[in-house]
Amino acid sequence: MTTIRLDNVSRSFGAVRAVDHVSATIEEGRLFTLLGPSGCGKTTLLRMIAGFCDVEAGSIWFGERRIDALPAHHRNTGMVFQNYAIFPNLTVAGNVAYGLRARKVDPADIRARVEKALERVRLPGYGSRWPHELSGGQLQRVAIARVLVIEPAVLLFDEPLSNLDAQLRTQMRVEIRQLQQSLGLTTIYVTHDQEEALAISDRIAILRSGKIEQVGSPQEIYQRPNTAFVAEFLGGANLLPGTIGTFDGEKTEVASCGTTILVDRKPGSAGQEVFVSIRPEALRLANGSDGPVLRAKLVMREFLGQIQRLHAALPDGTQIRVSTLGGAHLPATTGADLALAYDPAQIIVYPRS
Amino acid sequence: MKAFRYTIVFGAFALLALFLLYPLSLVLDASLRVNGTGAVTFANYARIFASKYYVHSVGNSLLAAALASVGATLIATPLAFCLARIEMPGKAVLLTLATLPLVLPSFVAAYALVLLFGHAGVVTTAFRAIGIPMGPIYGLTGITIVFLLTLYPYVLLPALAGFKAIDISIEEAARNLGGSRVHAFRTVLLPVAMPAVLAGALLVFIEALENFGVPVVLAEDRPFLAVDIFKLFAGEADNNPAAAGALSVLLIAGAALVLLVQRRYLAKRRFATNARAAPPPVPLPRRWRVLAASYSWGIVLLSLLPFIAVLFISFLHFRGPVLTWQLGLSNYFSLLEGSYRPLYNTLFLATVTAILATVVGAPIGYLVTRHRDPLSAGLDVIGMIPFAVSGTVLAIGFIIAFNSGVLVLTGGWLILVIAYTVRKLPFCIRSSSAIVHQIEPSLEEASINLGVSPLRTFVTLTVPLMASGLIGGMILVWITAASELSSTIVLYTSRWQTMTVRMYHFLEGGEGAGSASAAAAILILFTAAPLLLIQRRVRRQDAAIL
Repeated sequence: MTTIRLDNVSRSFGAVRAVDHVSATIEEGRLFTLLGPSGCGKTTLLRMIAGFCDVEAGSIWFGERRIDALPAHHRNTGMVFQNYAIFPNLTVAGNVAYGLRARKVDPADIRARVEKALERVRLPGYGSRWPHELSGGQLQRVAIARVLVIEPAVLLFDEPLSNLDAQLRTQMRVEIRQLQQSLGLTTIYVTHDQEEALAISDRIAILRSGKIEQVGSPQEIYQRPNTAFVAEFLGGANLLPGTIGTFDGEKTEVASCGTTILVDRKPGSAGQEVFVSIRPEALRLANGSDGPVLRAKLVMREFLGQIQRLHAALPDGTQIRVSTLGGAHLPATTGADLALAYDPAQIIVYPRS
Repeated sequence: MKAFRYTIVFGAFALLALFLLYPLSLVLDASLRVNGTGAVTFANYARIFASKYYVHSVGNSLLAAALASVGATLIATPLAFCLARIEMPGKAVLLTLATLPLVLPSFVAAYALVLLFGHAGVVTTAFRAIGIPMGPIYGLTGITIVFLLTLYPYVLLPALAGFKAIDISIEEAARNLGGSRVHAFRTVLLPVAMPAVLAGALLVFIEALENFGVPVVLAEDRPFLAVDIFKLFAGEADNNPAAAGALSVLLIAGAALVLLVQRRYLAKRRFATNARAAPPPVPLPRRWRVLAASYSWGIVLLSLLPFIAVLFISFLHFRGPVLTWQLGLSNYFSLLEGSYRPLYNTLFLATVTAILATVVGAPIGYLVTRHRDPLSAGLDVIGMIPFAVSGTVLAIGFIIAFNSGVLVLTGGWLILVIAYTVRKLPFCIRSSSAIVHQIEPSLEEASINLGVSPLRTFVTLTVPLMASGLIGGMILVWITAASELSSTIVLYTSRWQTMTVRMYHFLEGGEGAGSASAAAAILILFTAAPLLLIQRRVRRQDAAIL
């Protein structure tokens, strides 16, 4: 059980600030996800915690112990690699026993612990198999068993599911989450997949250009993004440029894309340039009831099963995305007029710098 | 496409049957008959195993080959790791220099050893003058040293590729699980690279077993298999083709067995490690890096030292067999005084061989890579046979097969070119197959899909794509053909003497050490210069044969 604390951690590669004064505390037993686009510094940060990347400035603590100067093999972290990094010269059992042998555990003990770890990842009896005989999902389980067996202080996952097919990915992430919760291990999980991050995490940190943009629970981050970047990255919000207009004491008019959008309260002074963030699911086809409406023309319809995604053009031609339920009845013809109803309370305005 | 394929397959089978399997079967046949008469007998084999001399001959050859492969592994594996993972100055140059011994004629290195440490060697006499006696370099010691220095790249190149192919995450996983760097090297990196290392070691064994030029220079009167076969077949005093045949069969059987182990067992044991990029250098304190650099440069320079010494000595004046310290071109004058013919012959034979071997080998390489069916698999296996057959033995087969009857080739240049071509064929097939591997099949499919016929696609798309690689392979064939001694020495006639034959005669006669050194220097130039000119392209090809 370990609390991880990052204190003003920085690292540059040449002129590039890969990690820029990052501070965060990961409470013990939590699953903490580093989420961001490629090149945002999330993997570098993880590798700094594992000890494969030197810390230039700042410090990293496991509980009361500062670990950033320790060699990688003395940190007692269990890392699951993107490509699994299964030793091809060892059997499954040899792979799982590797960390125990390095710790000079009694051989009689090793066998029992290896078998128990393989059972835990639902690969009992696979010990004598060779890595090349296993599927991608099985290799992934071996990689997890291999780190669980050493009872690490923290678990580190580096995009562990990115090499699996879609169905296996959803299945494995549930297993990883259940294992992590039942063992109560403090875990840092790196991914660029927002759905995966939302599904699995206790807390998420959104990274952008080496800096943490926002930290919070999945719901907090999704429902109250602090910045336009987070809103767009998480959930694919429509970001529309606009200018703040008049405030009627309750709602403010924002001129945007050849039309007017109403938002709650007063997000800024009149004439200020802003981004209006509208989530695709905050828009719905108006059914004649009250409330403000956006006029748009249907450009394209994507049927995705559970939902349908509509691409619609606002009066000035700007395209926006609208999510509706898959079963909803829609006009089929391209160019049809759409009336999109929305709740001003769900629309967020960010200053445009 | 089918007609095109069958033409290549059957053409290749016919060529290999006529110029490889048929001569070899005649050697086998000769070993099973009483000399001169037709009766079938095992007496030739019985006599070999009864003779102390020939048992020694087999034993010495096996011992030298075994020592060379163990030694080469011990030297080259750490060198490979240094070159793969440790930062050091001049690494690119070092890598080029390290591949040089693969193509430099090994008997020239043997000759350099004689010049330096022989009975009248520079170093021997200098030491004797100040009162330090030097042991003889001849026999097993000298032969093993030369094998070590010239054959270690056979281990170095695959081991280097092996270490570079290990993804860094494998090593990081080992350290993440609590292993130190040394522990990770011992338990993961080395075992994963090991099959490649062993495959290289077995190649060293085969090459050393078959080598004729090194023992012929350094054995003196000690028994060595490759030399004894030649003496029994071509020697004036103890001519005995049947015994030569029996020894040849033993030699081929030994080499073929090792080759079989190498291809069947080790090739399949290689681990797939899917490195996305070459692993980064190991961060080491300065003094360790200096140590690694000294070791690497030391080994490579030591292996080139004999050749450098020969180049230098070729510009010194000899008085009879005695070396003086006067600089001059007298050796070159006396070498070329007789005639320029051997020089022309060498250039001509090497050029024709390079073209012919490429024209024959490239389509075979293409076929065995693109079309995996029983026919091309068979072609792949037969195409590898010359690797297990020493040049002397193949040449003896050629003499028996083409001295009389329907097809008479002995006495001309064609027989030399054909023998060289057969000898270089495994290399040509491997290297063109390696090139084809790098060309996406979808490129050809795209061309066919766009309406170009398969044959036209091969000619207008595949061949140009292969061209740059083929030229590199062609130059390597040219180099090794120019320095070919073992088959030439059996097949040449006075009209078709080569530089290697001239050098051999100078050495054998004991006279003309000066001319021999000049001939050796010219051979070094012939081999090293083209290789250095096209070094980048060729390094990829070296790896192909391994």
